[in-house]
Amino acid sequence: MPEPGYPLLSLVIMTLPLGAGLIWLAPNPARARWIALLTALLDLAFTLLIVVRFDHASGDFQFVEQHAWIPSLNIKYLIGVDGMSVLFLPLTVLLFIGVILASWTSVRSLPRLYFSLLLILESATLGIFCALDTILFFLFWELTLVPTFFLISLWGIGPHRRYAAVKYTLMMLTGGVPLLFGFLLLGFNHAGTSGGAMTDKLVFSYPELLAAPLPAELQTAVFFLLLLGFAVKAPVFPLHTWLPTVAMEGPAAIAAIMTGLKLGAYGLIRFTVPLAPAAAQEFHWLLAGLGVVGILYGALMALSQTNLRRMLAFSSLSHVGLVLLGISAFTLQGIQGALFQLLNFTIVAGGIFLLSGFLHHRVGSTDVVSLGGVAQRMPLLSAGFFLFGLAGMGVPGTSGFPAEFLLILSALDTHTGAGLAALAGIILGAAWFLGMFRRAFLGPMHNTAVIEAVDLRRRELAIMLVLGTLILAGGLFPNGVLEMTRLASESWVENLPPR
Amino acid sequence: MGMNEIHWTVQSAYPVLATLQLLPLAAVVVLLLLRGRRLLYPAAVGMALLELLLAGDLFRLFDATSSSLQLAERLPLLFFPDYHAAVDGMSVLFILLTAIISLLVVLYAKVKRLENSRAFLATVFAIQATLQGMFVTRDLLWFTLLSAVELGLIAYLLLRLAKAPQDESAMRRYLQFMGIGLLLLLAGTFLLGWNYANASGGQWSFDLHELTQQAVPLEIQSVIFFLLFYGLGIRIPLFPLHGWLPLVAEHGTVAVAGVFLLGLKTGVYALVRFVFPLLPEAILRWHIWVAAFALAGIFYAATLALMQDNLRRLLAFAVISHTSLLVIGLFSLSQTALQGSILLSTSFGTATAGLLFMSGFVYRRTRTLIMPRLGGLFGHLPVIGTAFLVAGLSIIGMPGTPGFDAVHLVLEAAIQEFGAMVTIAAALGNVAAAAFLLRAFQGAFLAPRPESESAIEIEPPTRRERVIAGLIILVLLGTGFYSQPWLALLGHSFDGLAELYAGTLHNGGIPAAAQ
Repeated sequence: MPEPGYPLLSLVIMTLPLGAGLIWLAPNPARARWIALLTALLDLAFTLLIVVRFDHASGDFQFVEQHAWIPSLNIKYLIGVDGMSVLFLPLTVLLFIGVILASWTSVRSLPRLYFSLLLILESATLGIFCALDTILFFLFWELTLVPTFFLISLWGIGPHRRYAAVKYTLMMLTGGVPLLFGFLLLGFNHAGTSGGAMTDKLVFSYPELLAAPLPAELQTAVFFLLLLGFAVKAPVFPLHTWLPTVAMEGPAAIAAIMTGLKLGAYGLIRFTVPLAPAAAQEFHWLLAGLGVVGILYGALMALSQTNLRRMLAFSSLSHVGLVLLGISAFTLQGIQGALFQLLNFTIVAGGIFLLSGFLHHRVGSTDVVSLGGVAQRMPLLSAGFFLFGLAGMGVPGTSGFPAEFLLILSALDTHTGAGLAALAGIILGAAWFLGMFRRAFLGPMHNTAVIEAVDLRRRELAIMLVLGTLILAGGLFPNGVLEMTRLASESWVENLPPR
Repeated sequence: MGMNEIHWTVQSAYPVLATLQLLPLAAVVVLLLLRGRRLLYPAAVGMALLELLLAGDLFRLFDATSSSLQLAERLPLLFFPDYHAAVDGMSVLFILLTAIISLLVVLYAKVKRLENSRAFLATVFAIQATLQGMFVTRDLLWFTLLSAVELGLIAYLLLRLAKAPQDESAMRRYLQFMGIGLLLLLAGTFLLGWNYANASGGQWSFDLHELTQQAVPLEIQSVIFFLLFYGLGIRIPLFPLHGWLPLVAEHGTVAVAGVFLLGLKTGVYALVRFVFPLLPEAILRWHIWVAAFALAGIFYAATLALMQDNLRRLLAFAVISHTSLLVIGLFSLSQTALQGSILLSTSFGTATAGLLFMSGFVYRRTRTLIMPRLGGLFGHLPVIGTAFLVAGLSIIGMPGTPGFDAVHLVLEAAIQEFGAMVTIAAALGNVAAAAFLLRAFQGAFLAPRPESESAIEIEPPTRRERVIAGLIILVLLGTGFYSQPWLALLGHSFDGLAELYAGTLHNGGIPAAAQ
């Protein structure tokens, strides 16, 4: 399908800050949520238009826009999407719509600020998926920190929310340092190889960097810098310590965004491996090792937690490990599985955190001891929780199945031992989830808050129905997603040097 | 260095630079002569606005695509170095900032109930006049003397507005440090002039153009360098010459002195304007040491900032920490480095001024800046809190603030000159800065209000406070998201310096590995 004559991607990114501005112009603060919702719905329409118009037959970047930004350093406003990133756009917007609806009544203080920050966070997140200039990417990457800092410190549900906000922001800023240096190193290398004055020849454009060969010793440096930068965000063990803290202290809706959108893993796939392919292959054991450690550590830690939200945080660590393992295979199956799994998480991890937020809102706690018998009073909520949990385990029929199947298959093929360990990790994952579900949702009720709680309201049910449908659709008809990511994944694999 | 000059008559219908300096002087006279106090404040605001318009006109007239000095003015004087003024992009940037900051200070006078103080307003304009003079002059002696006048005027402000008894010790400390700094600066200036006279047969001159024609012998370059560098380093202030700042910041009763001293980085300006072109060998000999001290300064100040309970003292250490980063950038000595550092110094300056104003507003309500006694202010003062945060984020170099582009340039240049490890350390120092600024922001604005303070009613921001906060947010975010004009303005300012230092630098670190 031909590309539109107007900047559709920019529209996707820019609509949201405009909506955020509109929130402050509206006379009534109570309108804020409506403006936020309508803006996000409009944005959803734009992203769906992009998906519809996306040319499946091309592995190239599409909807590309390019403008000068800092000409003296050759930094450009360069955005575009390929098969790897295009599906993240509607899912991200969908997750944010879920977050807006989940915060509909629970956010009482400073609603204008809350919803405008949410829209700005959404815009920056979409920018991360679209940016094709490494510095522009870094801009969006860091830009997410400001709204997140506010959202956690002002609307967090834990008593240590301000500590959590600072911890998160500082860990991310520290992770940003190696990231920026990795990008600078790439820019410098390009300038060095093409000769001439240093500043005139710097290149930060991703497609150009992809085309330029990188000397071996520099590849190792770039690989480790970018790995470190993205590992903090993903999060990869042992840099994950912010996640349980944020999951406990932050607002549940924000925790849903943090765990649902695995931006770090996306960065690894998009930047780390393609820009330092030889080094990535050389250190495949490191990626696989980190993956396995993450899977097992996350699952074991989840087993030993007493709080639902901490459990979910650790299981998310386990999921990232699996994605890492899939990347380390460097095969088409592996990368497609990894992408599928990331898309899957947006719905599953996001959805399950929103549900735990609903639960917390009703019961005032997500400690397993204070729950019990939730299914009797809240059957819909419990059913949703169960479905999302199954998808997280990768049970056939849910969208988790094709993703995990591809990942395990490719891991068994290339790193047999790691693959077996991953299988064990999945079994552990099933163990914690089913054990937790039995203790928290089944059994007798003993907490008056649970007894008096009401089930999902219409607004909450709507979110869950949409997300649940997507889970089933992805599980029963995975081909659409696989077809979408195939060409881009093929060129991702082809870009790697032959082993 | 080529020193082509374009005379003002070619570019403009009136001598812009002279007007920029004379208008504030006229304002001083008007304010002192004005009968009654009713018109005092409106007149001051009007004059400050006029000066800002004039600075804007200078920006319009200035041709950023030309590498020549522009709008030059010369006037021979008896028994004194000639009046010689001309601007490049760097000067224009600082002149604009001076005009903006002075306007904010005048507006701040109303908030502090100083709008009827003839002496205060007149002093502000006198400081403005000396600052503009410092940024346009091409003569080192003029600069040094104007700088002495400026520091004296600020001392007068500190003295006049002093209330608490500790202020006296702060005042003494300030005078001791600045006095020594000025003496060193004067000594360096005279040595340069004497060297010129020695070489040219008794003809004294302090004109930058003439001084650069006469190379300084290697044996005295280092001496002069340290005289000037320490002299300027005290006022910048550089670690470990910063002893006066925390005390003055804590006990100086008004933000105004800090705003002029720290908001306008005249020391940095003078380093680039006078020291770099005149003493290249000494700079190359010592720049690694300077950078090493600066690196230590980043962490020293950041650590101390993390330990402060008083918001003002914290800001003082924040300034020391970020000026250290600035110095690393400056002494990377490439075109990118200089552009980045000068941009960074204006961005830091605006941000620091913002932080000082905002903490002034907070102090007005809470009567304290001890952080455990603050808290919960964001709900009462959202605009002030936002401006505080935006200013803090500019210091960290967050994207969307002018700090981002500037820090980016500085880091890029520092990698080339000092290697990746130093630069990564500097960048981590920036993360430490994020730690204490975010902690300060949370402590003052987001943390719950302590029980003991709940008796104090927090009144909502006044219209003027909103205007000042809004202007600061606007300037920072506006220049942050649209940095191109400012980068373009500095496009040719450092051609000469870059040429002077080209090929003499280390090419250590990454680029060497890349080749």
